[in-house]
Amino acid sequence: MRLNAPIPGANYLSDTRNYAWHRPPDIVDYDEAVSYLIDKIDEPEKKELVFAMLGIDAHITTIVTTILLQAVSKGKIGIDLAILCAGPLARYIEISAKDVDIKYEMGIEDKDRVAITPTLLKISLGMSIDDPEEQATGDIEQSMVQEAANRGLMSMPEPSDMVASPEEQAAMLGEVTEEEPEDELS
Amino acid sequence: MTFDDAVKKSIKQFLKGKLLKDTAALKPDGVFFTPEYFDDLEEELLDEKTDSTIEKEEELEDEA
Repeated sequence: MRLNAPIPGANYLSDTRNYAWHRPPDIVDYDEAVSYLIDKIDEPEKKELVFAMLGIDAHITTIVTTILLQAVSKGKIGIDLAILCAGPLARYIEISAKDVDIKYEMGIEDKDRVAITPTLLKISLGMSIDDPEEQATGDIEQSMVQEAANRGLMSMPEPSDMVASPEEQAAMLGEVTEEEPEDELS
Repeated sequence: MTFDDAVKKSIKQFLKGKLLKDTAALKPDGVFFTPEYFDDLEEELLDEKTDSTIEKEEELEDEA
């Protein structure tokens, strides 16, 4: 019986030095790693890049993630140590931004989250809404959804929508008298 | 959990002032880059008290 699989022990013979993150990382100490990352940020080019990213409203978490992934891909630090270094790095960028009066956003707040309200909960559970205002809003929304479902966005319009107004019909038949342009010189 | 999520969670914990207990236990002198270190650095650089320093001072005043 033939099996299409590597022979036992093939992993010991394969070349695992292809990528930097396949080798043991250069830095394994927490303080050393944070110090290395802070020194990296303090380089003039990196600092310019960080401030430019903050200038285009990038969150500090995004910047930190980018720097950490770079360090991991170069084999400087392991991925688990990178996660531990995220806090100090974010804090250092925050302090630097405050120091030069750049507006920043940390990016750890969950702004896109939809707040769970009693009305939302009732709707999701299929319960009736007692509040008349909410009921009216719900009815309108439901009728709009129903209409969209029945007709669809690309469906043919209703016959009443298709009939042009008498003025439009007259214009199409050429029955409208064109206004003569006024002669400005006279 | 993605790497981004892990980074966000790590930052949240650090900003709350949580320490790396297990990492600190491995070193006899403890870790150097603690939340307090960054609070002091901020105070030095910006010449203004951080929120955590104000809280600590208020606690000390209440105790007194």
